Amino acid sequence: MQTNNRPEELLPGTLDMLILKTLSRGQMHGYDVAESIQRSSEEVLLVEEGALYQSLHRLELRGLLSSEWGLSENKRRAKFYRLTVEGRKHLSAEAKRWSRVSLAISRVMKTA
Amino acid sequence: MKSFIRKLRWLTQRPDKEAELGEELQFHVEEEAEQRREDGLTVDEARWAARSELGNLSQVKENTRAAWGWTRVEDLICDAGYGLRQIRRNPAFSAIAIATLALGIGGITAMFSAVDAVLIRPLPYADAGRLVMIWDDMGKKDITSRHQPAPAEWMEWRRLNTVFTDLACSQPGDVTLSGDGDPEQVPARKVTWNFWSVLGVQPMLGRAFTEDEDNKSVRVVVISHGLWQRRFGGSPGIVGRKISLNDEPYEVIGVMPPGFYFMPSRDIDIWTPASFPAWLRKNFTWHDAQIIARLKPGVTLDQARQSMAALSLQVTAKDFRGPHSVNVMPLREEMAGRTRSALMLLLSASAALLLIACVNLANLLLSRGAVRYREVAVRAALGAGRGRLIAQFLTESLMLAGLGTIAGLALAVPAMRFLETLVPEAMSTHLMLDWRVLAFSAGAAIAATLIFGLAPALRGSQLAPQDGLREGGRGTAAARSYLFQHSLIIVETALAVLLLTCGGLLLRTFQHLRNADLGIRSERLLTFETPLFRYKDFDRRVAFINAEVEKVRAIPGVINAGFINLIPFSNLAHATFYRLEGQPADSFAGQAALVRNVSRDYFATAGARLREGRFFNTSDRKSDSPVAIVNEPFANRHFRERSPLGQRFKFGNLGDKGYWYTIVGVVRPIRENSVLEEARPAVYRVHEQCDQIGDVNAGIIVRTAVEPASIVSSVRQAIWSLDRNQPLARISTMEEIVDRQLSTPSQSTALLGAFAILALLLASIGLYGMLAYAVTQRTSEIGVRMALGATSGEILFAFGKRGLALTLTGLAIGLVLSAVAARSMTALLYGFKPGYFPTATVVSLILLAVAAVACFVPARRASRVDPVVALRGE
Repeated sequence: MQTNNRPEELLPGTLDMLILKTLSRGQMHGYDVAESIQRSSEEVLLVEEGALYQSLHRLELRGLLSSEWGLSENKRRAKFYRLTVEGRKHLSAEAKRWSRVSLAISRVMKTA
Repeated sequence: MKSFIRKLRWLTQRPDKEAELGEELQFHVEEEAEQRREDGLTVDEARWAARSELGNLSQVKENTRAAWGWTRVEDLICDAGYGLRQIRRNPAFSAIAIATLALGIGGITAMFSAVDAVLIRPLPYADAGRLVMIWDDMGKKDITSRHQPAPAEWMEWRRLNTVFTDLACSQPGDVTLSGDGDPEQVPARKVTWNFWSVLGVQPMLGRAFTEDEDNKSVRVVVISHGLWQRRFGGSPGIVGRKISLNDEPYEVIGVMPPGFYFMPSRDIDIWTPASFPAWLRKNFTWHDAQIIARLKPGVTLDQARQSMAALSLQVTAKDFRGPHSVNVMPLREEMAGRTRSALMLLLSASAALLLIACVNLANLLLSRGAVRYREVAVRAALGAGRGRLIAQFLTESLMLAGLGTIAGLALAVPAMRFLETLVPEAMSTHLMLDWRVLAFSAGAAIAATLIFGLAPALRGSQLAPQDGLREGGRGTAAARSYLFQHSLIIVETALAVLLLTCGGLLLRTFQHLRNADLGIRSERLLTFETPLFRYKDFDRRVAFINAEVEKVRAIPGVINAGFINLIPFSNLAHATFYRLEGQPADSFAGQAALVRNVSRDYFATAGARLREGRFFNTSDRKSDSPVAIVNEPFANRHFRERSPLGQRFKFGNLGDKGYWYTIVGVVRPIRENSVLEEARPAVYRVHEQCDQIGDVNAGIIVRTAVEPASIVSSVRQAIWSLDRNQPLARISTMEEIVDRQLSTPSQSTALLGAFAILALLLASIGLYGMLAYAVTQRTSEIGVRMALGATSGEILFAFGKRGLALTLTGLAIGLVLSAVAARSMTALLYGFKPGYFPTATVVSLILLAVAAVACFVPARRASRVDPVVALRGE
């Protein structure tokens, strides 16, 4: 598999959206979220841990995520995050906005 | 909103959240390590790789914590604690800083409490901003500036106006209260029934009187809370009780709440119904009333003024003085009177003092900033941004300001007692630290923090870390820092000069007032009043007055005694119109002079001086050709070239029934009205030769050989031996009366003088401090110069020159500012025009002398530097 050159930087807003999308598939702990994003983006996007936890906590404070402590696969205590109803609504709004913006950008880039 | 609540909850659960965060990150590291092990590394290598992957753990923790949202507040609290520790670590410096701030903030707080009491605090009436008083506007403000309207005018205005919801009328009505104790003269007013509704107040007990009671002259009365407590012991059965006013029974129907007061002064204790007799309602010559009115909602003051001016010209067509307009004054302005300008001046002066204190402190902090280079450098190297450093410095300054404010409030409280004498007579004297004053104080503290803290904070946070961390890091400050500090010194000096000059002008004015020739000799002169209502006709009154004077004169220790219907400086006008013999009929309209009825010995007792002619003597008895004495302004008005002696004129009754008075003497002017105003034209006649002696009190003056206060009880006995039920009122010495009148200019001058001296002190300390510090900083430079051959004299001169240049610049700017200020201060100078240049010269000399000392000491120290020591040590 071709891995692309250097990993790209992510704006915090975009990271928020990616986290929400990842958690829409079910509850996960922080490490898995990061892994998931990296895998899904085929190693183009590498999530910096400092930014990750900052986003997670911020989203929780805004009420878009809820958290609870549970046991991981290897029986260790971990904090699991889950999307709230608010979060789901926010995610679909953000997703719509994102596709509109990226479509517009590609259109501009296509012009000669 | 919900997120805020969540944030708050996380704050309270802080320790748990911290632990959780630690655990969460630890889990992450271990998962990462697990991953590496699966990739083939050893346990330790895996761990290490995972940790480095995660990066600086503390940084991550800090970033995440930042998302929790409370960092700013935490930083503030942290800085505050640090600031307090800094203050404790430098006791000498902190003490000076706090003392300086205490003076500045305490001063302005105390002044604001006075301004608040007089100009801002709501008056004890409903919606007091809509209340106005109405005076006759006679155009020529010759005799008195407040021309009292007539009750008849009140009736017409009430009937015809369109701009007021209602108008009420009040007349003087001082009464003698007798019956339950010694007879007492009580300040009182006669008011119309709607007085209470216009003001929007209610009695605390009982009720106010009704329109019916007013019209039917029912004998009811409303008393003040103070009188109820003082005279009737606060007894609960007060409502319905009968009391004796001027020997007539009145029923008390209401008691006002404590703290209620109204014009003309705060010690009015009794209000009776005005009950205007029928003849008064139509009479446009009887002018002794005050009219208070409430503006209709939506009507502005200007609209009311225009409307009333037009209406008044119409209504007063019947006035024998001719039609005239009216003056509509807002109540607050009326009550504050002249005090307003004095208070504003003093408030500005205290603000200037605070500014000087702040500038001083800024200078001090700037100088000290150099010492803290290293500390700041370390912080910056550890990652503090400039904003963070500035915030830290400002918080330290805020702590200083906070402590200074607390100390300042402690200083302000006794100062406020002293300031209570500035409150005008018509208002309540209570100065207190209410929420407005405290809020102002806090605002002043914050403003002060910004003024003295911003520059040092900006300067102190402004270095590249490597400069400070280097060894021997006491780097030379850039030349531009000196410019800023120099300009601060110049500002301080200019402000100090401004205060000193204004203080000097005020002092000259006050001395002028104090030494003004009052026309009588006021030392050892006792004065009091006795009411005359108990004597029902002219002859009886004259008899009583003569008997009084005789009895008092017989007291041992008394040199002489005399009667006058209005004690001098009593601020009451009592004028009348007159016409000279030979004046054509239409030329004397509006010609007025003050009139006084006196006993024969009055002028001798008072110590008045004669310009020509004679004083009254025993040959002046009741007759058809009465005599009069006029004062110099009167004589100068009409008889410039010839002598007035022998000329005749009529006053009071100008018609055919009026008597022609012959002028027999001219007296040097006595300031009948007020100590502060020039004497007006006045005429005097013997009381026996009056047309009538009114119901007002008789004023008695007594010249004593001993202390006037010591014979008061003998005087009381003497009067009581004539009439047991006669009270004595307004007992006072003439010197006390004069002092009371001079109290506002006296206090203002004293306060401004105090501010000015403090300002001078602070400014010179600032100059000294800056120069002393410069010497310390440049010790090595001085060493070099001396080694190269400079003499001590030259070093002395060099440093002294700097200080002198700053002082002179500040002086010049200050003098220009004060010339401008002097022009706007004329209201406070009571018409006296003290010369600006003599005052300015004196101030300049004082400043130069003080500045010379402040410069000399450090300069001398500079010249004494031992070059060897200076060059060797660092």
